[in-house]
Amino acid sequence: MIKLVNVSYTYPHTIQAALNHLSLSLPKGQCIMVTGPSGAGKTTLCLAACGILHHEYGGKKEGQVTLDGRDVTGYRSLSEIAQNIGIVFDDPEAQMIFTTVEEEILSALEYRGLSASEIEARLASIMETCYLVELRNRSPHNLSGGQKQRVALAATLALGNDVLILDEPTSELDEHATHRIVEILKNLKEQGKTILLVEHKYIHFRDIIDTLVVMENGAIRAIGAPREILTDERLRRIVIPDFSKIKEGAGDRAAPAGNATAPVISVQHLSYSYDDVPALKDVNLDIHAGEFVAIVGENGSGKTTLVKHFNGLLSPTRGDVFIQGKNTRTCSIAELARDVGLVFQNPDHMFFADTVKEEVEFGLTNLGIKDGAGIIDAALGEVRLLHTKDLYPRWLSRGERQRLAIACVFAMQPSIIVLDEPTTGLDGDEACLVMEILQELQRKGHTIIVITHNREIATNCADRLITMEQGLIVSDSPVR
Amino acid sequence: MAEILQYVHKDGFFHRINPFTKIAFILVISLMCIISTSIPFLAVLVVALLVIAYASNLYKEVIQQLKLVIMMSVVFIVITIITMPNGAIIGHVIPAAVPFVGGFIPITQGAIEIGLILTLRFMVLIFAFQLFLISTQPRDLVHTLEKCRMPIDYILMFIIALRFIPTLQIEGKRIHEAQLARGYNPGTGFLGKIRSVAPIVIPLVSNALLRSNVLGLTIDMRGYRTGKRTHVRERRFLRSDYLVLTVLVFVCAGFIFLTLEQIL
Repeated sequence: MIKLVNVSYTYPHTIQAALNHLSLSLPKGQCIMVTGPSGAGKTTLCLAACGILHHEYGGKKEGQVTLDGRDVTGYRSLSEIAQNIGIVFDDPEAQMIFTTVEEEILSALEYRGLSASEIEARLASIMETCYLVELRNRSPHNLSGGQKQRVALAATLALGNDVLILDEPTSELDEHATHRIVEILKNLKEQGKTILLVEHKYIHFRDIIDTLVVMENGAIRAIGAPREILTDERLRRIVIPDFSKIKEGAGDRAAPAGNATAPVISVQHLSYSYDDVPALKDVNLDIHAGEFVAIVGENGSGKTTLVKHFNGLLSPTRGDVFIQGKNTRTCSIAELARDVGLVFQNPDHMFFADTVKEEVEFGLTNLGIKDGAGIIDAALGEVRLLHTKDLYPRWLSRGERQRLAIACVFAMQPSIIVLDEPTTGLDGDEACLVMEILQELQRKGHTIIVITHNREIATNCADRLITMEQGLIVSDSPVR
Repeated sequence: MAEILQYVHKDGFFHRINPFTKIAFILVISLMCIISTSIPFLAVLVVALLVIAYASNLYKEVIQQLKLVIMMSVVFIVITIITMPNGAIIGHVIPAAVPFVGGFIPITQGAIEIGLILTLRFMVLIFAFQLFLISTQPRDLVHTLEKCRMPIDYILMFIIALRFIPTLQIEGKRIHEAQLARGYNPGTGFLGKIRSVAPIVIPLVSNALLRSNVLGLTIDMRGYRTGKRTHVRERRFLRSDYLVLTVLVFVCAGFIFLTLEQIL
């Protein structure tokens, strides 16, 4: 169906090739999963495979991309290619155009040359397949990241194309929602669809993958049946991250202060509602100095809402939150930032400076610390980014940007560091590196709180596991 | 979070009428409020719009704009007092009793009248467009404008401009929170807003530019620009549409008659 022959591509104004003499064939009815570190060229491969690179992007292109034996440059426009190929990009928010979920999917169907009754039937079936019936009249902008990913997928599936290109369709999904996507893709494959999937979650998709591709530096490092590729230890580590060694490698760490001392965070009967929708219901929790706590739970279970109370971004509807004995109701966010550093899920929400160094310096200036060169170097060294000090933050790879976000917060020397989904969109090696850095910070005496929907990370890195469901803490136990 | 200028899924009178009727309504109301300089007439238009909003179960959404309207009216009146003194003096910004500088910047009746006219005009325009946008699904708007022979690229541009409002709104809030968490305290008021420009606007614009690229590609890959559309769930002209159009014709005729009478 799709064939790339010796394709090389360099983006405008850059020197390094994003794709390097890459050849790949996507036969009809097969599912190919592409994985690899961020910056390996996976998204560029998706853009090349559906003709976007050749039709919409400048830069230096070499090689040939054919779709059903016809060169993509021979197609009049992307709209013509779109009759055969559907693509779901990695940013679900950017793919929401209309104002209700149903309208989003219906409007995509209207341009496929179907009859009105066929459109209605396909709309109903897609809504059901993607579990969107209950969200029918909701505004796509107000959905969770995972729900948006399902809407973006549904709008593309609705087109009924034979070839599907999916760029990290489950990056923001929890376990349950990821399994739903796997089920959807399994059905599509049974229907004979051809799928090119860029993913980091091999384990979830292994039953439907025919060919596994590992990319590095714009080239294919390995291609073949998953079983063969996974025999190579190095490749295996990229495809299936192994978090089990992190704790072993962490060495001696300061023992958590334990229950004898006063907690650094004390949440008492905390309830919070967004407008009239309850997000937290009578939550009670104590966290002690030096603990490494993982908070797990599905999308919408209240994890982020809870941690936003720790630095005063949200004020309790009922109940109280105490940080180092201070009630957050009586402290400003700037005051709490000295004790609690919060690293958000998307690091791009914070970067605005011209260099990595200035980006880290911003937090120090806010705290009134002048001449913090030593602190900046130490923070960047801690996250292995010292060599990028003079680079523009947005030029860094996704994993490097995530580590920079940690450095920005760590440099402010808060005793408590909270991270919201710090491994989203990272490959196995990078996710391990981030978790190792957090282990080191814990060893230096920081209290670490990580929100994640990856239970493997939680059980392998944390000392204590808190599970949330529908605004409640349903379990809180030490990790053995 | 309440989204600005976005469709609200409800069932009310204004939701049910045809988008074409709504466009005619907006055009007539806008033209009348731009041409008219009568404060009572403009006030009647404002009240009429609020009554329609109430009857259409959209009062809460329309009244959300009140804060913006009040801020604008204060700005308009202050500017007209300073720049357009006209007619009887009814006081001074700095009272005459203040030594040396007293009696400076006269407040005139004409300036206040012009300020009020501008305020009422903006109220009419804001309420009318708000009413239109929150009751019309973009999909229906695309179909209606297509029927009016507007090129699809222009229609999509308009829809995307509207669609970016909530994205920027939500994204702006997230960025603001991320910077606050880094101890950033730009302060409140005008100076605070100026100080917060770089840490908030730079990530906002950078992210929006990246997003607009993906959005453009999505529009192409979903085939919206092919123009070959199947008509499904078409909005028909109902009795209420004919009623609204008839009322509009009468209001228009009355307005033209009164305006001409004034001119002649």
